[in-house]
Amino acid sequence: MAAPFPYTHYACPCSSSSGPVISKRASQLEPDEDQETFNPHDPRAAYSLYPLDHLLFCDECSQIRCPKCVNDEIINWFCPSCLFEVPSSAVRSENNRCSRNCYNCPSCSSPLHVTQVEKQDDGMLKPGDGRTGDEAYLLFCQYCDWTTLDIGVQFSRPTKITEQLNKARKARYTVQQPDSEDADKTVSKQLRNHDDAFDRLSVFYTEQMDETGESGNSWGSAYGSPANLARIMSLYGGLTHGALKKSREKPQPMREAAGEEEGLATYSPSDQDMDEETLQKMQTRGWDETASEEQALSTPANYGARFKDELWPAATTLRTKRGKRCRTCRQFIIRPEPKSGSARYRIRIIAHNNIPRLSLRPLHPIGPVQNPSFVMKSDHAYKDPILQPLSAQQFVLTLRNPIFETVKISLATPATTPGRVASRVTILCPSFEIGPAGDVWDEALSSSTSTIRPSDGGRSAAMASLTGTAEGEKQPEAGKIWEKTRNSTSVILEIVPGSLRPTSSIGLRDDEVKETVEEAEDDDVLEIPIYVRAEWTVDVHGEKGGEKEPKELGYWCVLGVGRIAA
Amino acid sequence: MSRPAPGNRRSTKSEYIETDTGNKISRKAHIEGKPNIMLGGRTVIMAGVTMRGDLQRKQERPADGSESAAADKVSSTAITIGRGTIISTNTTIRPPMRSSRGSGPTFYPLRIGDNVFVGPGSHISALSVSSNVHVGAGCVLAPFSIVKEHCRILPGTVVPPAMVVPPGSVVAGKPGRVVGEVGEGWGQGGGGEGEEWVEGGDLRALVRKVR
Ligand SMILES: [Zn+2]
Ligand SMILES: [Zn+2]
Ligand SMILES: [Zn+2]
Ligand SMILES: [Zn+2]
Repeated sequence: MAAPFPYTHYACPCSSSSGPVISKRASQLEPDEDQETFNPHDPRAAYSLYPLDHLLFCDECSQIRCPKCVNDEIINWFCPSCLFEVPSSAVRSENNRCSRNCYNCPSCSSPLHVTQVEKQDDGMLKPGDGRTGDEAYLLFCQYCDWTTLDIGVQFSRPTKITEQLNKARKARYTVQQPDSEDADKTVSKQLRNHDDAFDRLSVFYTEQMDETGESGNSWGSAYGSPANLARIMSLYGGLTHGALKKSREKPQPMREAAGEEEGLATYSPSDQDMDEETLQKMQTRGWDETASEEQALSTPANYGARFKDELWPAATTLRTKRGKRCRTCRQFIIRPEPKSGSARYRIRIIAHNNIPRLSLRPLHPIGPVQNPSFVMKSDHAYKDPILQPLSAQQFVLTLRNPIFETVKISLATPATTPGRVASRVTILCPSFEIGPAGDVWDEALSSSTSTIRPSDGGRSAAMASLTGTAEGEKQPEAGKIWEKTRNSTSVILEIVPGSLRPTSSIGLRDDEVKETVEEAEDDDVLEIPIYVRAEWTVDVHGEKGGEKEPKELGYWCVLGVGRIAA
Repeated sequence: MSRPAPGNRRSTKSEYIETDTGNKISRKAHIEGKPNIMLGGRTVIMAGVTMRGDLQRKQERPADGSESAAADKVSSTAITIGRGTIISTNTTIRPPMRSSRGSGPTFYPLRIGDNVFVGPGSHISALSVSSNVHVGAGCVLAPFSIVKEHCRILPGTVVPPAMVVPPGSVVAGKPGRVVGEVGEGWGQGGGGEGEEWVEGGDLRALVRKVR
């Protein structure tokens, strides 16, 4: 797992192995009854576990929604470079790429920039001060120094780069060679250009459709019309009399592209010369001058590119803004502001604000707790927490309530973790209440006071006496919650990590252990599956003191604790 | 972090100078051109950070020497940093520069938004880094790059010059490319009582812990 310890991942109920779970009421989801324990080491587990910030929530269905159980709906297309919105009608004709002046380096993918160069009379390129000489412009990569000069292209003005590039490309690939080997070679050279071949084929098939009297206006929709369907049916048996007659009336229903003019590229002996040429070039120029696969795939114009000097700038690919709908009730649960530069949402219902969230920390941390995302000093490298096998360790499990009602929580966890290494887990207090979330002001005020932690020594003892709890070190006790704030409750989790070495003392079946001595990847990662069930009531018509409607929610979580020492 | 390693503790005075608006600036930071740097408040500048506020935009023709030119010069801010932003150790913040013909190098003001985390050993020469952006350790934001809101720049990324990173992108690699999108819940939570701060979230709680 790439996430830093300790982490909490949440399982979306849509991928639970028992199918009808979604339609059931949460109260029926007894983890030990009809649902098997969630196994984080199961290869399938990775597909249903998400960090909280990737999970959504449908308030209609009262259920967690993950990327797999929402439907994306494209709000708009935009260019990530100029942030210009592209109308949906233009997206397809422009091949999902920006048609303005945005290009990426075909060599390294960085954005290219239009740069002015001035040609002096001596033919040298150097920056000058006046307007002498004729101006020329380049597309220039400031990351790897690639320029369009590498492919022998420069521009006469800094605007309409796309137009100028297309012109340059046409000029480059339709040069009429003066010698006799003539037009043939030119065409085949052109056919190496993917777009060109496509255009020719497209024209050819459109013509075929017209000639054979098919009504489809583009060959793409050829099978859409009933007439075409009838013709296809007649071709593949089931010949009705009428169809038979019809097919005889047209002796040549349709033929395939048969020549280079029609877009068919075939091998011809003259290609051999080209192959020789290519081989020669490879020998003299070496590996570094050949185009990598990634470079050749940067844009269709480069599909046939073998050498770096054939690489054409790649127009920047568009990105989309997408709304997300619940797959069950079809309502929008995510709807971004359509403006491409904006990061705001019109609708955003996320799991974070709707399900109790879990966090874990060691009760007696050895040294400061580290979050690798927030390492601020280069020499404080993050290390995965190491757990000593077969020794009991205590952790504080905190549940936070984002709901504006008091929530009753019941936690369930298997006594030993599933997977090859069985660790014992005990939740000292598996059912408790969490207070309601307040408004922003409450939150701001409460966050200005520091958390009371038993390990703070004298200060915390003073605080403890102030708050009326027992003096001195608090001891974890079964059935008692550890600490409580307005909208969070913490309980103690006792963990006895299993041993990676097969030992009979921890009660594993010997035969099972011996069979799987070979250690699988991440077997040493201690992950605890926990089933969370939350119950609360809401006012039916939004009015206080009125009728109450019970609500409940159940979901599996996986707590990543650390790695077990070998 | 909250507890400095035993040998690290300065006995006499604290490492940070705290301003009226709650900015914490390490005594071990190298800051040039202080009048040209604006900090929004509750922002942390850690040890070994180099800030080149002296590289501010100059007038096209300094030879003119008119008063208005001089006034312009005074008002030009080279580096603007928002609220609750953390610049980790050994990071360099240097306004981007472009050489124009005749008038030599011109520096452009560099802007960093609110609640931006910049990991240690990074080099920031971007034109702007918007709010709630998380920059990992050892990143380079090359001159004139623009990073929009809610982006996550993974450690060791080199964002190429003048690249525009659209909002909510995950960027990685050398050169940096958009490799994904952050979740819709990016930056939510954190900063609450006893709660872990989260990437792209409110960093005030983390700022409070720096001392
Ligand atoms: Zn799902
Ligand atoms: Zn564009
Ligand atoms: Zn490049
Ligand atoms: Zn729904």
